[in-house]
Amino acid sequence: MAICVRDLSHSYRSPDGPLQVLDQVSFEVAAAGYVALTGPSGAGKTTLLSVLGGLESPQRGQVWVGDDDVATLDGDRLARYRQRTVGFVFQHFGLLDTLSAVENVELAMTLSGAPRRARRARALELLADVGLAGRRSHRPPELSGGERQRVAIARALANEPRLVLADEPTGNLDAASAGLVLDLLELLPAQGRTVVVVTHDATVAARAHVRLDLVGGRLR
Amino acid sequence: MGWSDAVQVAGRDVVRRRGRVALTVMAVALAATLLTALLLIAETARTRVLDQLAKGGPLAGIRVSSNVGDGDVTRMLALPDVVAVLPLLTTEVLVAPSAAALQVPGDASIRLVGTDLRDPGKLPITILSGRLPLAGSSTEVALTQSYLERLGLTEKDAPGLVGGEVGLSSLRPGRGAPITRWARAKVVGVVAQEAAPGDVVAPLAMVESATSWATGRTTVTYDGAFVVAAELDRVASARQGLSELGFTSSAPENLIASVQRYLRIVEIVLASIGAIALVIAGLGIANALFASVRERRREIGVLKAIGARDRDIRRIFLAEATAFGVTGGLIGTLLGWGVSLVVGAVVNGYLASYGLRRVQVELPVVVVVAGVLGSTVLALVAGTVPAVRAARLPARQALGEA
Repeated sequence: MAICVRDLSHSYRSPDGPLQVLDQVSFEVAAAGYVALTGPSGAGKTTLLSVLGGLESPQRGQVWVGDDDVATLDGDRLARYRQRTVGFVFQHFGLLDTLSAVENVELAMTLSGAPRRARRARALELLADVGLAGRRSHRPPELSGGERQRVAIARALANEPRLVLADEPTGNLDAASAGLVLDLLELLPAQGRTVVVVTHDATVAARAHVRLDLVGGRLR
Repeated sequence: MGWSDAVQVAGRDVVRRRGRVALTVMAVALAATLLTALLLIAETARTRVLDQLAKGGPLAGIRVSSNVGDGDVTRMLALPDVVAVLPLLTTEVLVAPSAAALQVPGDASIRLVGTDLRDPGKLPITILSGRLPLAGSSTEVALTQSYLERLGLTEKDAPGLVGGEVGLSSLRPGRGAPITRWARAKVVGVVAQEAAPGDVVAPLAMVESATSWATGRTTVTYDGAFVVAAELDRVASARQGLSELGFTSSAPENLIASVQRYLRIVEIVLASIGAIALVIAGLGIANALFASVRERRREIGVLKAIGARDRDIRRIFLAEATAFGVTGGLIGTLLGWGVSLVVGAVVNGYLASYGLRRVQVELPVVVVVAGVLGSTVLALVAGTVPAVRAARLPARQALGEA
């Protein structure tokens, strides 16, 4: 899924006045690309990721993800975009501690209205794909960091998204676990999915096809 | 996300926060307990008071004081609000008891009251001792309190009079002295009655026979009737119908209505106290859910990031509120019943010490339904604001990432 961002600007209110976090950002990513979004803290990486993922609406400029003009989406259409088009992977994993691994993966499909039996089968298949078939009944507190992140990746892929957005996916992991997670992410472009990874880690960025470096809200 | 999935997600979270959930459910349960107990106690008291009032005859009873013929009885029965018409016939007779204990001092003339005794429950008659005469009998009578008073006796002496015999004589004017016809009757009971003024109650046919013989007429006109309306609320319309037929009537419905009004006020006051408790419990639910929303901001953000719509988030919190309401309402209603039983037992002890009849505390289905449904609705109302607030949390803000 191709991404096209044109003159995207975004600011937040702060006690000292508006804080410009993105300033006239423009770029394009081809379908099935693997992009690393790098830059220092406060450079606007997470804001850009949030706009791409429909967590925030663009204030100025245009953002196209495939055929979707993200700026025009709102309410249920935006929720549907997040369900079907985007898969999120967070640094803090974002799993529900009260649900088992398989239930966490199912949750994404539950929200999109998939039938119970179909979503259970798909969730088990995804857990097997990330090497966690034997841990399906475990709850997140019973899993290691790397295992939690792999469950999160399985959940992100549950609704067959064409865009996967990962925010510091290896930030809380040891080197071995990080390697496994990156291996999984690296497989996704081959499946026709576009991947955007926010990272501070040069090793992670080096594995991407394209690197976008944000500094002070602008692409360098 | 359907309701069943929302309930599952909410249920798992409820299990995680057992302590706070238990306290919240307990608050709802206590409020429901108070409301149920107060309602049951008020309802029991109301039933008891109306029972006492009903001792003067059916609460829906109406006295018709005009003369009534057989055709009139049929016309009264045709009124839509009337379920029974009991003709009343009184006549003067002489009494000659076989035992001195039944001898009326002075004038031996007494008033005999005849009425249809087939369904005594519809008459304002209370048996003090023995029983009522059989409806078809021509040899059985019951003495009234008026007879006891003439003998200078009280209710306590009533059992000693049952089983005695009296001679009753009808009088027919003759050429010189009146002609008398004596009949013997057995006293089968002593009663308190307000159907018509009289000293002895007898089956209607017996009094009809005496009246026909005394007047020489074959058709009898009754002195009045006791009419029973279908329900207490329909007494006024039944009286209106009787009035339109040309009959004068009286009924204690105004007194009963006043008593009912006061009882209703007591019920409203008690229910209001319970309702205040429920509102406080509702605030507890809202507080618990607000805390839950605060604690689960990131979870809400994650749910939105993976596609939850605002209404999905709302459903999860409303499902949680409903769980509080249903569980608390159910426990509270049962506890309330238990409290009512305990209060009933204490009251019964007090009543027994005064030789009064016990009260019976029951749990009507409507109270159970009202308790559970009321708690649930309250929980939903209390949970609405936190649920809406959770649903409106911006996804990015909820995720807590700047």
